[in-house]
Formats: sequence, structure tokens, C-alpha cells
Amino acid sequence: MSLALQKYLDDVMAYANRKQQDAERIRAELQDHLLQKVAELEAQHLPREDAIFQAIEDHGSARTVGYGLRKGFALLDVRTEGTARGFIAIGPRAVGVIAFGGVAVGLFAFGGFAIGAIAFGWLAVAALISCGGISLAPLGVALGMAVVGRIAMGMIASGGLAVGVWVPWAVDRVSLLAGDDGLRFLQFFQDFRNYAGEVGALVIVSWLFMIFPFLAGLMGAIESWEYRRIKKADPKLVE
Amino acid sequence: MKSLRKQTLDGNVETMLLAVLEAGTSYGYAIVKDLNERAEGILRLGEGTVYPVLHRLEEKRLVSASWRTAQNGRQRKYYRLTNKGRKALAGNRQQWHLLTVVMQKVVHSTAQLSPAPELKGASI
Repeated sequence: MSLALQKYLDDVMAYANRKQQDAERIRAELQDHLLQKVAELEAQHLPREDAIFQAIEDHGSARTVGYGLRKGFALLDVRTEGTARGFIAIGPRAVGVIAFGGVAVGLFAFGGFAIGAIAFGWLAVAALISCGGISLAPLGVALGMAVVGRIAMGMIASGGLAVGVWVPWAVDRVSLLAGDDGLRFLQFFQDFRNYAGEVGALVIVSWLFMIFPFLAGLMGAIESWEYRRIKKADPKLVE
Repeated sequence: MKSLRKQTLDGNVETMLLAVLEAGTSYGYAIVKDLNERAEGILRLGEGTVYPVLHRLEEKRLVSASWRTAQNGRQRKYYRLTNKGRKALAGNRQQWHLLTVVMQKVVHSTAQLSPAPELKGASI
């Protein structure tokens, strides 16, 4: 089969984001359609290359077809590759009310990078409760649990280095590691906290409120980059 | 020259596919071809956009599907109307008939003031 057809089907299936068994069947069905279309166009004396591109064009944008083939939001979606989407989602990337994954987004999110109302992860961003290596919780409580995680930022923050409404005893009572056990460079933050006091806290909390607009801007930039990349690869894919 | 708007068709593609499958078991490519022929050029579906609709009909159990080996040796997915699909088609037909009657009655007087638009192929 031609590379152009394969690439088109790859793009469709990437947008469809189906589990492997489903994906193989859908791909086979679309492939059968495209090959028959190419054969028909060739029978009308169109050169093979032109017939392939005509068949792809008539089939429609990979994005439109792929998104159409995407499954609805499942109750439970577990997968070993791609993005899991469901009420409970488990996968390398997971989006759901309860999400577990390398990148997890949900009301309750657990993962290397977790975003949610309640988030646990190496880098956890949450509105309410956030626990992880580096935790940011603008509206709730952030708890730094590991060594690096003794950086905790929030309106109410407890951790190795707490920024926000200070809880002086938090280092010893909440953090799993006491202040002196931390990485050496973190001592700088400890010292800064002691030195800066309320004013420093205010400055850092002000900075904290810029985190979400910054993250939103970053996501927008990534999306825009991805759009340009797809458009460059195949202008037909971008509507 | 006017063209048929995509919005006008939204929700009705399912009915059109059911109507095509009423004639008998068929597969994606043949269904698209049959549909386009019946539409006589007024409507031209993006061929790939038919599959999400077919799969949706399958999930709703309005059609059933099975894989068979085609004459060219390739595996091919065939669709056929189920009893539930037949009933749904009958209901949709009735609804469509009522709608056209109402539209004729309500819009007809306006239509008399201006000539009917010449239709050209529309793609979705």
C-alpha cells in the first residue's frame, strides 16, 4: 500500500485514539474503502498517484474522520498507550474524573504530572489539595512530601518550604523529611523564608498567582506549535 | 445557485444510511456510492464521514456488522439492518414525512413569491 495512504490512515487513527483491537479493525475497514476507491479511479484511467490523492481527498480530512471515530467518554478506560478518557481513566495519559497516569488530568489526579482539584504526583497542580514532589495549590493546601517536594506553595501551604499563610510547625509535622535532611540548594529557600518573612511571602504568593496564566499561555503555545507542525506536514489535515 | 447546508442534514444522515441498508447487506464503500447515486449530485458526503455514523448505528444496534472475505481476498466489513433498525427507519420516515408536510404548508406561500433555487452538489 502507498505511503500516502498509510500516513493518512495513521493520522486518522491518531485522532481516533482507539484501543489497539478496535483501531486495527477500523483501520482495515477504511483501508479497504480507500483501496477500492483507488482501483475504481485507476479504472477511469487516472494515474495511480493521482488516484491515491483523489481517494484521500474524497475520504475527507483525517482530523474530521478521526474525531468522528473517537469513542465517547467511557465509565472506565484503561490502556497501555495513547490517552485514556473516562470517568475513571488509567493510562500513560489520563483524562477523567479520577485519573491515573504519567500525565493525569481530573478532579482526582494521580500521576507523574497531575492536574486536578485534588492532585498527587511528582509535579502536582491542584485547586484544593496537592501532594507531590513539587506541589502548587493556589486555592487549597499544598503538601510537599518528598525531598524536592519540600517546596510547597499555596494560600495555605505546608511543607519543607511553605509559601502563603505560614504554618511554622509544618516542616516538622507535615513534611516527611525534616528541614535539615533536604537537598542542599533547598536550604537557600529555607533561609530565604526566615529572612523574607511576611513580605517575601507576599511577593512569592503574588508570583504564584501568575502560575496559572503562565501555564495556560504555555499550553496555548504548545497547541499553536502542534497546529503549525501538522499544517506543515500536511495542509489538508488542518481545517 | 443555492447549495444544501450541512446543518440541514444534521441528524438525518443516520436515516439515509438506514434507508440505503434497507435494500440489503452492504459495506462502507458501496453504501457511500449508493447514497451518492440516490442523492443525484445534490449531496455529496465526505466518504470517511460515513464510518463514524455507521459505527454509531452499530452501537445503537440499529445495524449489525460482520467481517467476510471479499472477492478480491480482502477482509471486508458488511452491515445489515436489524429489526430495531427497521423500526427506527419506519419511525424516522414518518417524522420526515410530517416535517415535509408542515414545511410545505408553512413555507409554501413564501416559496411562491420567489423562484425555487437551483440546487448544486453540497459536500459534508
